Amino acid sequence: MIAPDTLDLHPHRPDEVSVPIPDTALDPELRARLRGCTVAIIGCGGLGSNVAEMLVRSGVGRLTLVDFDVVDERNLNRQFFFRDQIGMPKVIALAENLQRIRSDVRLDLLQDRVTPENLLGVVRGACAIVEAVDDAGAKAMIVNTCLAEVPNVPLVTASGLAGYGSTNAIVTERMAENLYVVGDLTSDVRDGHPLFASRVMAAAAAQAHAVVRVLLGYPEP
Amino acid sequence: MQVDVVLFAHFSGFQPDGKGGRHARAFELAEGTTIADVIAMIGLPDEPRVIFVNSRHAPEERELRQGDRLAIFPPVAGG
Repeated sequence: MIAPDTLDLHPHRPDEVSVPIPDTALDPELRARLRGCTVAIIGCGGLGSNVAEMLVRSGVGRLTLVDFDVVDERNLNRQFFFRDQIGMPKVIALAENLQRIRSDVRLDLLQDRVTPENLLGVVRGACAIVEAVDDAGAKAMIVNTCLAEVPNVPLVTASGLAGYGSTNAIVTERMAENLYVVGDLTSDVRDGHPLFASRVMAAAAAQAHAVVRVLLGYPEP
Repeated sequence: MQVDVVLFAHFSGFQPDGKGGRHARAFELAEGTTIADVIAMIGLPDEPRVIFVNSRHAPEERELRQGDRLAIFPPVAGG
């Protein structure tokens, strides 16, 4: 196990030359706000790996990445990994890919399943939490635990992104004060619906954007 | 006492009026009724669920109060 806060694979070094993402449109104060935030992403599969990519490109300064699994050939149809990463722990492979986008992003990695016992350690200090696991029971556990224990931290969860239904059915809803739900709420992978990159990434983009909006001070989706 | 109950996604089909939909229904409940009592009353299946009362998470053993808004949401698999 790699504990968060004990492994910072790529700490920011002030003397290191970093190439910022060109974005002259974003107010420097807002850019600094994103850079000062940590987002915990639980699950680094179809949702989480793509959410992480988008948050790094958006300028979020630090991510906590959690996933127990390794990269499999079957992941490559929708997840942000490459053939030469098959067999690698997903958190390590993802860290490698994110570093190729922005060398100054800070990453804390945990290769483990999230449980009620370790969840609070994972989300400690996060400005926002992204639930991106695939199992419905784990989703409910994460949401219920976070709402109970860290109710003031915005949580973006996803439910209903399988199949080839229209992406127009994928919406972002503020279901409770600090709970945002992305998806069509119904299309369940257990019903035999396949997972398409286009629809999974639409949900991931909606999750990432909900995070960006919340971090910038826009709580309504 | 009166409590508003909102059921999301396929749980909405368990509203007592059988009409589905995600709008709140007013339930007339006895004092001391818990969330678990409501779940049993409407016959929700034993599936993963997220429960909140007045936009805050609440455990199933919690007793409801006059004017509460109970919402139950079943996450589905896929990620």
